[in-house]
Parts: sequence; structure tokens; C-alpha cells
Amino acid sequence: MIARWREIPVTYKVPFIVALLMVAISAVLSERVLDRLSRTQESHIQGLASTYLDGLSSTVLPAVLRQDVWETFDALDRSADAYEALRPIDAVVTGTDGNVLASSDPAMIPSFQPPPEGFLDRYVGTGIQIEKSQEVGYARRDLVYQGLPVGAIHVSFDVSHLFEERREILMTLLLTNGVLALLFGVAGFLIVRQMIGPMRILEDHMRAAASGIAKPISEGLAGRTPSEARRLFEGYNALVEAERERKNLAMRLVEEEKVAGLGRLASGMAHEINNPLGGLLNAVDTLKTHGESEKVRRTSISLIERGLQGIQAVVEAMLSTYRPERQGRSLSRIDFDDIALLVAPELRRRQQRIEWSFNWAGHPELDIPSGPVRQALLNLVLNAIAASPERSEVQINIGVDTRRIHIEVIDAGEGIPADMAVILTDRNPDPILQSGRGLGLWMVRRMVDEVEGSVSISFSQEGHTTVSLELPFGREEKADAA
Amino acid sequence: MKRREFLQMTSAAALFPRTAHAGSTPFRFGLTPVFLSNDLEVTERLRSYFAARLGTDVELVTRRTYQEITALVVSGQIDAAWICGYPYVQYREELELLAAPVWRGRSLYQSYLIVPAGRPVDDWTDLRGDVHAFSDPDSNSGYLVTQALLAESGLREQDFFPRTIFTYGHRNVIRAVAAGLCTSGSVDGYVWEVMRATEPALVDQTQVLRKSEWLAFPPLATSRGLQDDKRVRDFRDVLLAMADDPEAASILSQLQLDGFAHCDPAEFDAIATKFATYRRFG
Repeated sequence: MIARWREIPVTYKVPFIVALLMVAISAVLSERVLDRLSRTQESHIQGLASTYLDGLSSTVLPAVLRQDVWETFDALDRSADAYEALRPIDAVVTGTDGNVLASSDPAMIPSFQPPPEGFLDRYVGTGIQIEKSQEVGYARRDLVYQGLPVGAIHVSFDVSHLFEERREILMTLLLTNGVLALLFGVAGFLIVRQMIGPMRILEDHMRAAASGIAKPISEGLAGRTPSEARRLFEGYNALVEAERERKNLAMRLVEEEKVAGLGRLASGMAHEINNPLGGLLNAVDTLKTHGESEKVRRTSISLIERGLQGIQAVVEAMLSTYRPERQGRSLSRIDFDDIALLVAPELRRRQQRIEWSFNWAGHPELDIPSGPVRQALLNLVLNAIAASPERSEVQINIGVDTRRIHIEVIDAGEGIPADMAVILTDRNPDPILQSGRGLGLWMVRRMVDEVEGSVSISFSQEGHTTVSLELPFGREEKADAA
Repeated sequence: MKRREFLQMTSAAALFPRTAHAGSTPFRFGLTPVFLSNDLEVTERLRSYFAARLGTDVELVTRRTYQEITALVVSGQIDAAWICGYPYVQYREELELLAAPVWRGRSLYQSYLIVPAGRPVDDWTDLRGDVHAFSDPDSNSGYLVTQALLAESGLREQDFFPRTIFTYGHRNVIRAVAAGLCTSGSVDGYVWEVMRATEPALVDQTQVLRKSEWLAFPPLATSRGLQDDKRVRDFRDVLLAMADDPEAASILSQLQLDGFAHCDPAEFDAIATKFATYRRFG
């Protein structure tokens, strides 16, 4: 119940509460008004009845003393018209013998006879007795002459108009308060909707931002809002602008990192190409000098061929890594050979080696784009080489099962600093990037997020750091199959 | 009340009969509740008419009972009065007839025995045990005729009508019967007929059970001592001329009378006979 109430939007809650309050207030007010009205009416009717009985007593007393039936009847008959405000129903005068002397309705209550059975029971106590079920009031007055009772007047009168008046006032109160509650409810709804309108705009923009489309709130929307909301919008827009600038900066940094990486690789490659070039030139010189010798010629040409093949392999690996049209093809064993080739100069420089372990399970290629994986693994391997001391060994384990490829890069050094490791594992690594550090790791993280994989880091007691990637493949096929 | 007692009661006034009037003294005309005495408009128009024709102020004197008006006219304290035939036959020697109203071409009317409308009775003898309404103990149609009827049938009032009331007005008799206060009543036939036109809602609640024989209409009379008084004679002339006076037409129309005519004391013999019957039996 409470949970359901919380789910109701405030746009409906506030008017509902306002209407509820109005109903409660109107109920209390109505009760007070009707109570006061009831007392006023009873006091008024008591006064009227008392006046009526005073007048009637003095009129009929002489006739009652003479036991004059006609005069008594005449007085009763005329008094009915004279006291219309009281709405008398009937008036009965009884004598000391208890018989009816005269009544205003002699056909029902005839003279010279006792009153009908139960008649006198209605006239008990002093003042007016109101029979609510019949909406009739009863009043009695003793007729006293020189201290002696000579008879009594019994009067009944219609009080339905009092109840009718109460009903009408109740209806008026209900109607008025109902209309007011409705108006307040509608007004509350409109006001609250107007008030929370800017919050909705903000909410929509924040939701859009959460799903990756952060847009500033346009001036057209902000222009119609109150100043408080406008300040909020300005703050939000400033936030969006800052985020946008930060992302642009990060992209630029990434590009610069790529260029820097490319530079490093290019210099490595130049070295890689330069090494066989010396041998090739020597072979060419040997051919020039001793080219007539069949054995020398064959040996030199073989040397030149192998040197050129080495250069061709390096150039191929470079092209596969950085030519965009080649990045979209599926991942295969060759991509890992290329990485080995690309990092070879750096390994040689640091006198390190890589221990590769493959469990390829016979897959010719995996349904996952090779470009991002190559780039990410290259970054991880270069990081591991940089982190490991000279003459050490970097371990790379590749395993493939039916749905995932597992890649482990284990360095031999002190590992990735904890503040940098969170770039790989934290839910929102973006703020850490603001220093401009860890761009290589951030690119790895981006690739893992894009293919909806996962990444983890573990540290061994020997000081090794293991970065594990789990990348699913064949997702599009599954989606199609579904 | 017996005639002797009545005369004793009025003797003080009779010691000083008003045989002459100063010019400024208003002409005093008494009205019994014989007819529409409750209609103030009619009585005022009647007063204005008489004042205009007599050339003097006219004072209308009304009292609750016939007896009071009869005492005033017999003693000469008022110049003339519209009395009932019953008081006239009681005080025939002290009174002088001036004129009698003409209703439907004759100076005659009837007494009605009325009951509530729809009451299933066929004969007046079915009224035994009723609460009966009389008009006035000095009314011919509203008392004497019914009493004489009972006497002629050898019935005593207290046996036939164990409860009776006096309403002191023919209109009140109709009201008492219509309201159910009384189960029957004795009423002036002229008043009942006139009211049937003026107050049908009230009169239609009653029905006539018995109509008496035609009797002399209640006359206008003066005291014997004033019969030669000029103003009284003038008053009689005005009355007798009303039928031909266009200005009196609307008043007469309102009273549903044709006018006023000479009247002979012998016309009241039938009432006198009823009085005698009643006295003999009572």
C-alpha cells in the first residue's frame, strides 16, 4: 500500500491531499454549522411556540372558564392562521375533567370526549418535544386561573421545514465544499505540474545523458521557467559542457597516444628493417664482387630473399594493425603472430622474451573484430614489457572455449600501480583520466566495454601482475538466432 | 330569559326614552348577527349610504348576541335595528316595524337543518344524539324553528340533542358543522344561500337536511317611543326607496336582496305560533 502510494507521481498526490484536506475541513465545518443551526432553530421554535401558547392561553382562558366549546374552537381555528410561521398542525384544549373541550380538528379529535389513546403521552416534560422521525413538534401549556388549573392546551406543529432547511444547508455545504475541493484539486494539479515542469525537463535530459546522449537544455525550454529552475538548468548545462570538453580532451589524448605509440613502433620497425638492410647491402656487395661464383651467388640471393621476407612480415603486421579496412576482419592466430612481431624490437632492446601459450581449440578464426583486440593486447603487452625488468620473461596465455576467448598477460615486474589499475576495473574510470595518464589502459577498457567483455587484475606474492580479459564472441549470430 | 326579566333589565334605559335628537347626534342603527355581520365592507357601505341619504352621521351598533341589540332597540337607546322575527314576536308591544328585506321577490325566508356534506342521513329524526349547533337563543331560524320542531314532535332538546352549543352567528353554525365540531346545525336559510355564492369552499362542506316552511324575514324595527321621530321616519323612507335607488343597487346586490318593503305584523304570526309551541312544551 505504502509502496504503491510512493509510486504515485507528486502531480497527483498533492491535489489529492489538498482535496482530502478540503473534505476533512468541510466535514468539520459542516458539523459545526449544522449543530449551531440546530440549536438556533430549536431556540427559535421554542420562542415561537412559547409566544403562540401565551397568546392562545390568554385567548381561550375566558372561554375555557365558561366551558364554551364554540369560543374555544373559534380561538383555536383563528390562531392557526395568525401563527403561520409556527405551522401548527393541531391544537387541543382539554378541561379539568380530561375531556376535550375543543380542538382545531374536531373531526379527528371531537369535543366532549377523552383525547385519543396515546395522545397525552406525546406531551411530556417542559418545552418542545420534537419527534424527529415524524418531523413534528409537541408543546403543552397548563391553563391556570387564580392559581387553579382549569385545563390545558396541547399543540403540535410541523417542523419539517427545519429539517428541510438543515438538509438544504447540508446539501449547499456539500456542494460548495465539493466544488471547492475539486477546484483546489485541479488548481493544485496545474500548479504542481507547472512547478515540477522544469524538474521533468531536467529529468529527461539527465536520463538521456545517462544513456550517453548528454545535451544541454535549450534556451527555448529554459526561458519559460522560474529563476530557481533557470539556475538549475544553467548548472546542468555547465556540467554537460564540462563533460563534453573532458571527453574531447580524452579523445585528443587518445589520438596523441596513438600517434606516440605509432612513433615508437615506427622507430622499432625502422630498426627491424635496418638490421636486415645491412646484411642485404653486404650480400649485394658480395654479389658485385664475387657474383660469378655460383655458390656465392646462390648464398647471397638466399640471404637477400630472407632479409626481404623479414621486412615484408614487419610491414604486413604494421598494416594489419593500423589500416582501418583490415581492423574489421575476424580474429585469428595470425593476429597474435603479428603482435609478437611488433613487440619483438622492444623485447630485444630490453633483452626480454615472451612465453606464449595457446589453447586455440582448432578455431580458424573467432567472430570478434580483430582490430580492437590487437590494439588492446598490444597495449597490454607493451605495458607488461615496460613494467618487467630487463632479461625477464612476460607470459601470455590465450584460451578459447565455445563462447569466449581468455587472454592473460602476466608481467614479471612490480605490476600496475593500484591508481592506474582502477582504469581497467572501476565502473567509471573517466575522472582518473583527467590527469592524462593511463591512456593505454583506458583504450583497453574501452575495447572490453565495447564487446561487453570483462577485465580483472590480480597480483601474485612474487610481484607478478596478471591482467585477464574475457571477451565473448559470436554475439551478433546469437542475436540473429534469437 | 323571560320577557319580564328582560324588561326589568332594560328599565333603567327605558326611563329616559330618546324621543328627540339633537342635530349633531348620530343616527344609531343596530345590527344583529342575523346576516353577514362579519363582512365589514358591507356594513361600512351600508352605513355610508344611510348617512348620505339621511344627511346625518350614522353609527352602526353591533353586539355579540341578539339579546343585547334587542335590549338596546326596545329601550330606545338606538334608533332602529335589524332584528330577528323571534325577538320581535317576544317584544311586539314595545317595537314598531319599519320595513322588511325583500329576498327573491318576497319578504320570506326559511330555517335550514344542515349536516356535514356526505353524511348519510335522510330525515331530521336521524339526528338524535348529535352535537348540535344553534346560532343564538333569540334567533328564529337558528334556534326557535328547531326547538318548535322538537316540541311539535314531543321531543325534549336535552334528550334529542345531548350536547348543544351556541355559536352566536349563522356563519359560525356553518363553520362548526363544516369543521366537524358539531354534527348538525340550525341556520338561517338566507345566510346559507348567500354564503354558498360568496364562500362556496366553506358552505360546500355542509348539506341541507331539512328546510322549514317559509317564515317572515328578519325585520327592521324601532322602539314604539321613536316611531314618530322624524329621523326614524326618514330612515324608513330611505329603506323603502332603496330598491329604486341606483346608488343602493350594488349594496343590495352584495346582500343579495331586492330591497325593503312595508311589512305587516301579522306576517310574524307563524313565528309567534312556534314561540307559543316552544314555550308550552318547555
